[in-house]
Amino acid sequence: MNVDLAHLKDIRKSFNGVEVLHGVDLTLAPGEVLALLGENGAGKSTLVKILAGDIPPTSGSITIADTELARLDVYQARQLGVRMIFQELNDAPTLSVAENIFLGQWPGSKGFVAWGDMREKAREILKRLEVDIDVDAQAGSLRVGERQILEIARALTQNAKVLVLDEPTAALSNSEVERLFIVMDQLKKQGVGMIYITHRLDEVSRVADRVQVLRDGNSVLTVDAKGAQRDVLVTAMLGHEALKNARPAPVSTSGNGLEITNLSSGDDFTDVSMTINAGEVVCLFGKIGSGSSEVLESIYGLRPVTGGSIQIFGKKFTPKSPQESSSSGIGYLPADRQRLGSFGSRSVAENLAVASWKAMSRLGFVDAGNEVKAFSRWSDALKISARRGPTQEIATLSGGNQQKVLLGRWFEAKVQVLLLVEPTRGVDVGARRDIYDIIRRQAKESGMAVLVATSDYEEVVLLADRALVMSRGKIVSEFTGNSVEATSLISAAS
Amino acid sequence: MSKTTEVEKDKKRSIPASAPLMVFFVGLFTYFSVASEYFFDIENFRNIAVALAVTGIVCIPGTLLMIAGQVDLSVGSAAAVSGMIMANMVNKHSIAVGLITALIFGLTLGIINGFLVTVIGVNSLITTLGGLATLYGIALLIGNGQTVMMRNFEWLGTAQPWGVPLPVVIFTVLAIMGAISLRKSTYGRSLYAIGSNPNAARVVGIRSNRLLFITFVLSSVGAALAGAVLCSQLSAADPNAARGLELEVITAIVLGGASLAGGRGSMFGTILGLCTIGILNNGLILLDVPTFWQRVAQGLMLIIAVSFDSLRQKLNNQRS
Repeated sequence: MNVDLAHLKDIRKSFNGVEVLHGVDLTLAPGEVLALLGENGAGKSTLVKILAGDIPPTSGSITIADTELARLDVYQARQLGVRMIFQELNDAPTLSVAENIFLGQWPGSKGFVAWGDMREKAREILKRLEVDIDVDAQAGSLRVGERQILEIARALTQNAKVLVLDEPTAALSNSEVERLFIVMDQLKKQGVGMIYITHRLDEVSRVADRVQVLRDGNSVLTVDAKGAQRDVLVTAMLGHEALKNARPAPVSTSGNGLEITNLSSGDDFTDVSMTINAGEVVCLFGKIGSGSSEVLESIYGLRPVTGGSIQIFGKKFTPKSPQESSSSGIGYLPADRQRLGSFGSRSVAENLAVASWKAMSRLGFVDAGNEVKAFSRWSDALKISARRGPTQEIATLSGGNQQKVLLGRWFEAKVQVLLLVEPTRGVDVGARRDIYDIIRRQAKESGMAVLVATSDYEEVVLLADRALVMSRGKIVSEFTGNSVEATSLISAAS
Repeated sequence: MSKTTEVEKDKKRSIPASAPLMVFFVGLFTYFSVASEYFFDIENFRNIAVALAVTGIVCIPGTLLMIAGQVDLSVGSAAAVSGMIMANMVNKHSIAVGLITALIFGLTLGIINGFLVTVIGVNSLITTLGGLATLYGIALLIGNGQTVMMRNFEWLGTAQPWGVPLPVVIFTVLAIMGAISLRKSTYGRSLYAIGSNPNAARVVGIRSNRLLFITFVLSSVGAALAGAVLCSQLSAADPNAARGLELEVITAIVLGGASLAGGRGSMFGTILGLCTIGILNNGLILLDVPTFWQRVAQGLMLIIAVSFDSLRQKLNNQRS
């Protein structure tokens, strides 16, 4: 009598004795799209991992296609037709589209691949999804959105009935998002049930039939997607304790620091204008792909500028390369600390001093004593805890401490403009507060103009004097002082 | 006060990169001193130093390159070509012309290598592997496959001011310059940064391409100088005299604690690695071990050195 494709009942899950799911129910009907919403840590991933058999629930029951199970493993889940599509691609970029669709399960016999057969079947599946992709093309030559569709096609060859899509649109452009939705519409018609995890509220009414909101391991709201009010969803996601900025707006403005007029970079962002005063901290808030971090990359010369102009303390500045920018008094803290920020095998002192070598050196020679002095100057102010002192390798520090060293790098270099991208990503809560305090204090003391690109609304609330919200490559709204608060930020960015 | 002692204690706890090699070197030195009556002797040490000087000259820019995460395999063949050019020029014109043309050759080769790696973006291993083969062919072509005798220019390779062989003096001066550059100059520091994380180096504003270009030029000029010294020592240019030089150079540098991935290494380590190879070759000869075994021993040493380094890093990581 059960018409549901999948039914999770009273699922509880504890990690190391801490319960993260407190009895969550979830149902999915054939041909239905269920949008699963929630902040980071709400329990969305844990719940779908349980459905996919990745982790066993502590208690509760799982019913998939009329088979009730106390626990299931990955293999069983696959047998029953549960497939996950992740944000990151899991394909082989140098192989053909057809090979990728049948990756690891190429049709053929006795260890030989039946190429004609495989290409024919691949074509059939892509036709079923109503997409026009050449089966002989190299997967790596396709756009990200197309490659994501290949992953869905692969799931279909393995007879998927329940498809879990974990933030599939995070890395996609608008047209690609629409294309993915068309594919999902096709799948719906064929009776595939889908669980769609997203942060973008505007996608919910477009693609979903029902919405379920998780918060702190509880299912707090399940409603029809059609009539769902955005405010209601946001409040459900955040709970009632929406954060507010309690600081007064800064009174003193000692002249314009960074002035940007109609800055554009291809499709990434267009006509971005803003003025940041000396000593002011401005946050550019937006989801990943909104263009906020791209604006900072362009100012620093890491991404081509296709239009507009930049002035730094009244002087015209044209970004050419990171080298030019850093010698013109701009500092840049990348989001990807390991890849773009720290020199893992070098000491903390050297990592901190690297941007100031010119100032510290005479005739091309650096005084190591100056490096150590610079380090001790900042290690107290930034509360850097390096057990082995200035010579400790930076890679052996915690994420928060590494980030403090990289911040100190630009403070020591006495930059006029500081660009920070996701400054507290991967940083523990305690160090976060320190970092916010230091950035604000340093900006006020030195008169730096600080621009922060972030996708974390809490960061905006705790850090910003002023917040600009970006969505789809444009600045859509501005909040100052006490009006910087979570609900309106999220609502504006979605 | 207790804070500083804690720091000191922690400092001691991490194993320096050259510690295992130091132990090995001392062990080897002691063994040869006991096993052969000819080993512990000032004249023998002078022989070892002379034998090492040519390799050593190439090792210095080689260390800079390896620290920046690059490698130059063309040095052996470049030294051979440099020798052939010099011998011909000295015979036809003069010593000065010979030396200058050899060094101009090195400069040109370095510019080509640097251009291919930093402007075109070819992997340095492949670029210089191609250079190795091409230049060896050119060395054979110049002398028609024969050794070219060179007259009246032995002093560069054999002079002994204050009793120290001139090649050793050249090596020592260059080594000191290299060590100071690495430790103290923004150039040397930048090389460590580039090797440690090339992307971060770019983002922080280090002119990576320019510095790498310079280092490739230094490497080729070093090889050309080494070729000239070798040629002068032998009073002849032999296209095969410097074969395998690149392997010896890389072995010494890696033995000395430099990482092939870049970002680690020191001039002191390289010199210690070089000395280890030197006394090993010398000791084996004194003990009448067939010379073929030298190659085997050197290869094994390289493998052991790299294994030791991996182990050391694992241990250090566990501690923190």
